[in-house]
Amino acid sequence: MTQLSISHVGKTYADGTEALRDIQVRANEGEIVAILGGSGCGKTTLLRLVAGLDTPSAGTIAVGGETIAGTHPAISAVFQEPRLLPWLKVGANIAFGGQRLEATERQRRAEALIERIGLAGYGGRWPRDLSGGQSQRVAIARALIGHPGVLLLDEPFSALDPFTRSSLHELVLGLWAELKPTILMVTHDVDEAVTLADRIVVMKPRPGRVHESMTVDLPRPRDRLTSAFEMMKRRVLRTIDRSLDAERPPAARPAGPGGASPWL
Amino acid sequence: MKPIGLVIPVALGLIWEGAVQYGVASGRLMPPPSLLLHATVALARSGELWSHVTATMARIGLGFLFGAAAGTAMGVLNGASPFMRQLLDPTIQALRAIPSLAWVPLFILWLGIFETSKLALIAMGVFFPVYLGVLSAIQGVDRKLIEVGRVFGLTPMGIALRITGPAVLPAWIAALRTGLGLGFMFVVAAELMGASEGLGYLLLDGQQMGRADSILVAMIVFALLGKACDSILVAIGVPLLRWQDTVRARL
Repeated sequence: MTQLSISHVGKTYADGTEALRDIQVRANEGEIVAILGGSGCGKTTLLRLVAGLDTPSAGTIAVGGETIAGTHPAISAVFQEPRLLPWLKVGANIAFGGQRLEATERQRRAEALIERIGLAGYGGRWPRDLSGGQSQRVAIARALIGHPGVLLLDEPFSALDPFTRSSLHELVLGLWAELKPTILMVTHDVDEAVTLADRIVVMKPRPGRVHESMTVDLPRPRDRLTSAFEMMKRRVLRTIDRSLDAERPPAARPAGPGGASPWL
Repeated sequence: MKPIGLVIPVALGLIWEGAVQYGVASGRLMPPPSLLLHATVALARSGELWSHVTATMARIGLGFLFGAAAGTAMGVLNGASPFMRQLLDPTIQALRAIPSLAWVPLFILWLGIFETSKLALIAMGVFFPVYLGVLSAIQGVDRKLIEVGRVFGLTPMGIALRITGPAVLPAWIAALRTGLGLGFMFVVAAELMGASEGLGYLLLDGQQMGRADSILVAMIVFALLGKACDSILVAIGVPLLRWQDTVRARL
């Protein structure tokens, strides 16, 4: 279990575009933190910085108290699209995530994970033979085979149908309960954030900044049909509305506090 | 190859054979299949055909090997290093724009009339398509797959071997096939520029002696050898590219 600290992180690209400004987010050990916000608020940029795929222009990122620069063995990721290597069979794709493991241990974990993600018997198949949901299961297994301290999820369920998405939520929560990685996930789906996260960080755009952080104080497993779940969702939606209001000119804002949320 | 692929050549051969047999055509400048078969058997029995085939295939084999190795190495170097690409690629592209046959006089001057100049010409013909194929394939590797390698801890060498290499393989095999085709084209040019044996020499000899049958036999043997070599490359590539969804379509 590993704590993740993002301190005063900013990102300005070479063309002068400021994507992120003074981001401060902390994910405690074994905590699931969802970064929520509309398009262009820098969610994915933030995740890329934590993954070490981009370099912050300001601030620091620390894992388990150690400041990191670039990719780190304790950090693993699942991307928006599965990004399986098409020339490796399913079993080898999962094993690919365990580069730092000894070969027999890697093989043992890959075989166990194939069963755990419900794809027993698929180890010898090519990625081209998998559905979108199955591919994303393999990507999740690949990310977890090395038992990372921090798992980054970059909208990995956004392209899936609601049934597949729901079953993948269960899979991620099950694996999280077993391995307890700290999870930093990016999503634009409020329902998903409330279902999965312990804490939701709402971002506002241009440049991306943290608007508000809120704790999701609901027991697990979470039932989407309860009034508590619905109230939490409304609270998050109101926060998002406020974050957007702050960016709009006064004339474009909703009539009053009772105005309908564009998210509902 | 499916049997249906033989329908058109066999039908054309039979029509032409009939036309000559029934006196519709003389067959002097375009001998019928029976005469070509006769000429082929005669060349084979005398051992002349084999010496021509051996000489041509040795030139193509060596020229292809040198050209493909140099094209691949240069493609990898320039694909992997932006600095080297900026340094070398403009010169290579300028050299590519020179018609390859224009090098013949210079090669003869530099390397003599014998084997070295012929091999250099064939290797140069193979080099450019292989170089371009490898370079553009490396530049076209999906950035997202490279990122997967980085996130999971691969070193730059690991990324080159485990991600870039397999990703480039289909385009490399396609480039080798194009290079091989050009190798066959350039071996003719090389053998026309002064050889005492080889299928190109057989072509030239047939022209000078007015032997259309020799010319056609050489052309048919070229077609068969070219197809056989291409099939070998495809056969080598198929097990390596089984992962592709479109392996049949690409090859």
